[in-house]
Amino acid sequence: MATEAEVFESVVKILTPFVKNQEALASVKKETHILDDLKVNSSRLVDVVLQFEDTFDIEVADDDIDAVETVGNCVSLILAKVG
Amino acid sequence: MSLPSLSRRERVALGAQRGVSFLLAPLWAAVVSLAVRRARFRFEGLAEMRAAYARLRAEPGPVLVCANHMTLVDSFLVAFALGNPAWFLLHFASVPWNVPEATVFASTPWMRAATWSLKCVTILRGRRDAVAATLSRVAHLLGRGEAVLVFPEGGRSRVGRVDVDARTWAVGRLLRSVPACRVLCVHLRGEGQTGVTDFPRRGERFHVAFSTIEPKSERRGLRACVELSGQVLSELARLEGREGGPWAGPVPA
Repeated sequence: MATEAEVFESVVKILTPFVKNQEALASVKKETHILDDLKVNSSRLVDVVLQFEDTFDIEVADDDIDAVETVGNCVSLILAKVG
Repeated sequence: MSLPSLSRRERVALGAQRGVSFLLAPLWAAVVSLAVRRARFRFEGLAEMRAAYARLRAEPGPVLVCANHMTLVDSFLVAFALGNPAWFLLHFASVPWNVPEATVFASTPWMRAATWSLKCVTILRGRRDAVAATLSRVAHLLGRGEAVLVFPEGGRSRVGRVDVDARTWAVGRLLRSVPACRVLCVHLRGEGQTGVTDFPRRGERFHVAFSTIEPKSERRGLRACVELSGQVLSELARLEGREGGPWAGPVPA
């Protein structure tokens, strides 16, 4: 089972191609806001979450995406699904 | 799969908004009629569109109107294409609710008041909780037999055609939350509309095309939402590129 640190690393890797603010990416933390800090286009968030599904072999429900705001939210969501 | 249900307070607020909108409807109907006349807009396919919408509304079941989006006044234009303003006064539930972006259309107190009195529930894109709250309101309205107009591309198309690559899922999420919802796809575009603009040119000649679909998906979760939204976008693109239409053929590279 993946550790929190491994999931965090994978989440950042998945987010990287969508990030417009490279400075924020360099100092990314669990509290980093995906839209506000990393400047990921909100319409690309779907692609990010679908990649979580593929990478971790999980299924994300419609309403799960409401809770995805920070990198830490993503990590928690994935850990809850794989756990 | 389900959207959060509305609190009693939220339901009452929507009811009050509908009541005020109803009282002000004659004013808005007159303004829209006058504006269309003064702008000398002409619509091809208007009679067929209005007849089809009236038929659809006469049948039981929720109707979600999904339209392409190129100008800031598309909500008015599509509503005008769906029904004569005088007809809407007699069929107020058929006046579609709109879901405009709050930061654009409700940025001042006056604009907030105007959108509120025009059957609008604003949406704050990029704020997941706010989007979910708005979708819950829309689902509630659809469930109550109200018509709702949305732009499934999630904004005005920047590619000059229906943007089938827009990665949206909100329409799909709505459809999964409102069983047996029929989708009326409406493609409306002016001949002089070569790309995204704020307003159509004066004297514009619009072409209206439409179809009713019931999107289906065997997938689950977010993938189902994306697939359902994609089916709506594909249908809008098909209407745009329809044979014999002004934009016949595939999307130019």
